Amino acid sequence: MGIVEWATSPWGQDVPIHISFLLIWVAAIAGLLFLIVHAIWARYFARKEEFAGATPPQVAARIPAEVPRHSLAARMFHWIMAAAMFALLITAFLPRIGVQFAWVTYHWIAGIVLTASILFHIVHATFWMDRWSIWPDKADIEDATRRFKRAIGQAAPPPRRFAKYPLENKMYHGVIVLAGLSAVLTGVFMMFRVRTGFLPRNPYLFGDMTWGLMYVLHGLAGVGLIALIMVHVYFAIRPEKLVITKSMIFGTLAREHYLEHHDPQRWAVEGSQSARASSAD
Amino acid sequence: MAIIRDIMPAFELYQPANTDDALSLLSRHGKEAWAMAGGLDTFDWLKDRIKRPSVVVDLSQIKELTGVRPMGGGVEIGALTTLTEVVRNPTVKEKFGLLSQAAELVASPQIRNQGTLGGNVSQDARCWYYRGGWKCYRAGGNICFADTPTAINREHAILGADRCVAVNPSDTAPALIALDAQMVIRNAKGERVVNAEDYFIGPGTDIMRMTVLRPGDLLTAIRIPATWAGTHFYFEKIRDRQVWDFPLVNIASAAVFNGDQIERIRIAVNGVAAHPVRLKQVEDAVTGKPRNAATADMAGQLAVQGAEPLRYNGYKVPLMRNLVKRSIRGVEEAKWA
Amino acid sequence: MAKAPDNPLPSHPRYKLIGKDYTTPDLIAKVTGRAKYAEDYRADGMLFAKLLLSPVPHGHVRNIDASEALKMPGVKAILTVDDMPKPADAMTDLGQRIPANPLGERGLTNDPVYQGEPILAVCAVDEYTAAEAIEKIKLDIERLPHVVDPLVSLRPGGANARVEGNVWLRPTAPPGQPAPPPKVTEVKWTDADFAEYKDGKLPMGKATDPEWSYGDVDGGFKNAALVLDETFVTPNTSHQTLETRTAMAYWQNGKVFVHVSTQSTAQTAPAIARWLGLLEPNGQPDLSKVVVISEYTGGGFGSKITSAISAIIPCILSKKVGAPVMMRISREEEHYIGRARPSLHGRVKVGFTKEGKVTAVDMFVVMDNGPYDPQGDANQSGRMLSLMYQPPAMRWRGITVLTNTPPRVSQSQPGGFQGIALMEPILAKASRKLGVDQVAIHRINAPVGKAPIGPPGPNGKRLYVTSAYVQEALDRGVEQFEWEKRKALPKRSGTKARGIGVATSCFVGGSVGFDGLCVIKPDGRIYIQSGIGNLGTASVSDTHRVTAELLGVPWEKCEITWGSTARNLPWSCPSGGSQTTHAHTRAAYAVALDAKDKLTQIAAKDLGGKPEDYEVANERVFRKGGGAGMSLAQAAKRAIELGGIYDGHELPKGINKMTVTSAQALMGQGLLAVARDTMPRDGQTHSYVAGFAEVEVDLETGKYRILDYLAVADVGTIIHPRALGGQVLGRSMLGIGHAIGQKWVYDQHYGLPLAKRFHHNKPPTILDAPEKMQWAALDIPDPETPIGARGIGEPPVGAGCMAILNALSDALGDEIFRRAPVTADMILASLEAGKPATEGLTAHI
Repeated sequence: MGIVEWATSPWGQDVPIHISFLLIWVAAIAGLLFLIVHAIWARYFARKEEFAGATPPQVAARIPAEVPRHSLAARMFHWIMAAAMFALLITAFLPRIGVQFAWVTYHWIAGIVLTASILFHIVHATFWMDRWSIWPDKADIEDATRRFKRAIGQAAPPPRRFAKYPLENKMYHGVIVLAGLSAVLTGVFMMFRVRTGFLPRNPYLFGDMTWGLMYVLHGLAGVGLIALIMVHVYFAIRPEKLVITKSMIFGTLAREHYLEHHDPQRWAVEGSQSARASSAD
Repeated sequence: MAIIRDIMPAFELYQPANTDDALSLLSRHGKEAWAMAGGLDTFDWLKDRIKRPSVVVDLSQIKELTGVRPMGGGVEIGALTTLTEVVRNPTVKEKFGLLSQAAELVASPQIRNQGTLGGNVSQDARCWYYRGGWKCYRAGGNICFADTPTAINREHAILGADRCVAVNPSDTAPALIALDAQMVIRNAKGERVVNAEDYFIGPGTDIMRMTVLRPGDLLTAIRIPATWAGTHFYFEKIRDRQVWDFPLVNIASAAVFNGDQIERIRIAVNGVAAHPVRLKQVEDAVTGKPRNAATADMAGQLAVQGAEPLRYNGYKVPLMRNLVKRSIRGVEEAKWA
Repeated sequence: MAKAPDNPLPSHPRYKLIGKDYTTPDLIAKVTGRAKYAEDYRADGMLFAKLLLSPVPHGHVRNIDASEALKMPGVKAILTVDDMPKPADAMTDLGQRIPANPLGERGLTNDPVYQGEPILAVCAVDEYTAAEAIEKIKLDIERLPHVVDPLVSLRPGGANARVEGNVWLRPTAPPGQPAPPPKVTEVKWTDADFAEYKDGKLPMGKATDPEWSYGDVDGGFKNAALVLDETFVTPNTSHQTLETRTAMAYWQNGKVFVHVSTQSTAQTAPAIARWLGLLEPNGQPDLSKVVVISEYTGGGFGSKITSAISAIIPCILSKKVGAPVMMRISREEEHYIGRARPSLHGRVKVGFTKEGKVTAVDMFVVMDNGPYDPQGDANQSGRMLSLMYQPPAMRWRGITVLTNTPPRVSQSQPGGFQGIALMEPILAKASRKLGVDQVAIHRINAPVGKAPIGPPGPNGKRLYVTSAYVQEALDRGVEQFEWEKRKALPKRSGTKARGIGVATSCFVGGSVGFDGLCVIKPDGRIYIQSGIGNLGTASVSDTHRVTAELLGVPWEKCEITWGSTARNLPWSCPSGGSQTTHAHTRAAYAVALDAKDKLTQIAAKDLGGKPEDYEVANERVFRKGGGAGMSLAQAAKRAIELGGIYDGHELPKGINKMTVTSAQALMGQGLLAVARDTMPRDGQTHSYVAGFAEVEVDLETGKYRILDYLAVADVGTIIHPRALGGQVLGRSMLGIGHAIGQKWVYDQHYGLPLAKRFHHNKPPTILDAPEKMQWAALDIPDPETPIGARGIGEPPVGAGCMAILNALSDALGDEIFRRAPVTADMILASLEAGKPATEGLTAHI
């Protein structure tokens, strides 16, 4: 049993039609395993985070009690996207595991919501937010190397504090972008295969092979998202990360958390120099 | 793998003599098992090597699943009762003539001699793409070949399409719905009874099944309550040929008239959606109304609201509308001078 | 102009056998199930073959990997096109060269041009093993562009059905020479040509078939009171014989014995020899190497005139594996290789005088030819139209388009049906527009006597038919159908509409020049050899009643031998084009004359006097006016003693080689009579039918019932009433199938058929037959053939179909249909829309 389900086309050719739905369980189990391993590691093996240097008091003094982290627009995007994502995963996969209901209309409507929210996010993040803050930079790589060396017992200076987002956060975002865009782009084309009322139906927009690969990609992204979202939810409810989760609700981060984990040089708040400019040195 | 059709592959054949044995076989072999009643649906699939069960459980030897028995003013009909027996049964004819009429219009005499009532209501879609072995949604694929810009879909759905546009081809199904029948389903765990109306499912619910039956389930009997016994029935089937043909559209209704007034009525139509459609809205709208042309027209219009014809099946909208009309006011027969 | 001879109705007092019902020699075996069809034969060690069919409508097989299949126990061999004989020139029995068609069928192919075309055959101990083996074969196929709709192929940028192109070019013959072989080329019309397509009118771009015309076409339109220009599309219909083209073969001493399903026994042997490449050095088929066995055939309708090329697959496999091989053809396979009638998209412009007389016809047809040999239907449609409606001026244009759909071949009334179908709706419409009765408009345009047909020949003159009594047929129909009474009935009542329709139809009804062979043995019986196929028409025995009639021998004393070319059969006509009754009543007449000659000569020798003094009757040859004579048994004994020409030791010149071989095998057994029909004939033999129908349409559902149907045949002398009735009504049903539902359905995107089984392509059932159905025949002898009998297999088709459709338009008006079949959906949708609502020009919907 492979990861792809093949079928015979009307012309007798072998074409992929979708992923093997066993992958749903593979993804769920992989996600679960990650959680368990991480939880055990965090509980028994993780060392306390150490960072190089400390925030100068004069800088710290300027930090307000509640550090603004996510604008209202950004938060709304996140939660709308999250709702759409859950709707999509539920409508996609519950019927596959035996919970039968008419899912297609909900699925594509949720897909449109997701697509719209992503489009908004791209525009919003490009023009109104610090568009680079979510992408790893040189310092992230250096610090990651330091942390890795220290973790395996080699000598390395302690890493610096984070910019607005820790590297893990950035990497997660990257993977989500990949999976999400794969699902969304293929999903948009797949809407030509169902009755939406506004797109001209044309299941023959592409050939059997292209469609098949598109379904496979959509499926892979979908099951990938199962694991990714399990991980995301897990971190969101981990006690040490709750403060970050709250910031996605209320928009702000407690000053103490900010000072402990973030480097005002790299994530300037309250009119400081831009984090990127100052982190260049 | 090259394709060859019209020659049956090998399989293990079981011919249990009682229902318990059949259920245990079905449960033991799960998805690998194929329950076969009269074989009219089955042999097509097997001969074309499209469905390839490794085990076929032939139910034809189970005597306890045949026959018509009185039951509380109504009847219970064994699922394996042949359509011919249903047609000929005097009780069915007298009380539930609607079912006799419907059963008599199924396919051809030879097929009715062999085909069973349970098989007729549980039969698979007859969409020629699906039956041709094209890997469509209903076959586990990712496309409906019948709902594409170039598809030939004269015989397909105008209502309730959800990706798949196949229709339910059964003639007896709408009659059973109109008679408010109940379907008795057994599996290894026990028995359950569902209303005829709920026995059939659309592609939205499960695109690969036509009924609520799952692997291991067996439709054992069909119960028709006394509710509509001896009431006013209307059945009509429109088909291309006068014998050996599936319906383009068929209609079944049972009604009680009080003088000029429609006291109560049940109407079901098949051939327009993936499941027989009970016209609850129409029934509600006409109940208490006079039985006349105006009511019939209104019912016809209401029945086809929301219909979405495909490229070649637009005629089904007026056809369904007119049949609903007729089910209420009857046919205006010609009087040639 | 010929006048109808005195009509000897009702029962030919001068005939004892002709015109009488009798029990055919094959009947009891048929009704008791003892008749053996090709599939019923078994031979020791017989193996079975199954076919692997092309999954694509057009492609090229790059590689066949059969290694897994060949490893299976029980699998004996596979056969591919590499094992098949190459196309080679061949000769007919008349010495005419048949040039090899490099684009023709070879039975198997690596370049499939339709889905379902056989690519290879697997031979195994049983069919299950062969089927399993086929599933283990890996085909590497390159898919090529495909097209299943001729108009799509003609569009700019449309795909070609073959690599070479999409249209058959048929060069005209230079004066005095045979026409060069046709070739495939690419033809595309322009977008401007397609401008009228959206209005449902057939585009008329460049026509490539040789155009013909006669008379003043433009003048005819100029003088017309009414000009109609109508598009109509006829269906592609599979022959759907109940017996598929199963074949079984084995070899003995270098000779192949092949059990087939065929319309013609004698003619199938050379066909098989040619397909197998068994030719004599001079290129003629080597009949000493082929034995064809076919005692019973379950239907042909033109699809098995000389059996089928697929029959050579078991022949070649059998040689390869050294054992008999049976290849049963499944219904699925029969759909693909079983042949079909080519549809015509037609547009016909017709001028009428105010009385309804046709003044001119301008006809344009696009033929969906399928992927192989160019068919004659397109041209024949014009010829038959010109005969049936006698336009004084006419132009015919056509184009033969290839499509990736199963191969076409003649089907009952090939081309004639389509011509009638294109013209009849126009005639019916004109009758309404002009206020002329439907029968009257048919009558005024009907051929009479030696009526002209088709284009002028090389001498500038038009050919003509032997006779035509269509007006008499119409008159008989009007009376028997009570046309006037029905016409007076109302057209609407309640939710029903009713209508009556008439249609006339014609087709070729006979050929000449074939052989008869029989032996009168000393037991006093006549042993008649029949090379005619037993395809269900009864002509295999009917025609020989003429011999018995002329020799005055009771039918019980006639033995017919038929069904195997090993049984000394004479050269007989192919049973296609309804030629057999005509050709072989003539051959039977000729052989009876030969027998009479020999009998009277023997009598004169033994009893004195001259042969002319003797006559033959009541199983005796005796002196005219009474006196000395001898029984046929005695004469037969004398013939053996005399030898020479009398018992077949000396054979006449001019008879066919096959007849010579057969006669030589029978010599010395009695009085051997053998002759070729060399009797004169002035004109081309055609038969005619007038069909009358009444229908009732349910306006709320579109369903219609055929209440009544009457076919009146002008078919010459009736030979066998019951068989004639079977043909007239049976072929009427074939036509009615075209009217009410029979068709092909294709998915154009994939180029694949959707309707492959009976319940999908819907041949009519017995319950679809008209509620009342009758036939009549004029029984007016044809003046150009001795007995006066013509064939009838074809013309009932067009009459049956179009009388129904004319009755429908009588009931519903002209705005309902533009194509056949006309089904309930089409009627209801059009009634709803107030105009023809079903797509007119898309093929195979």
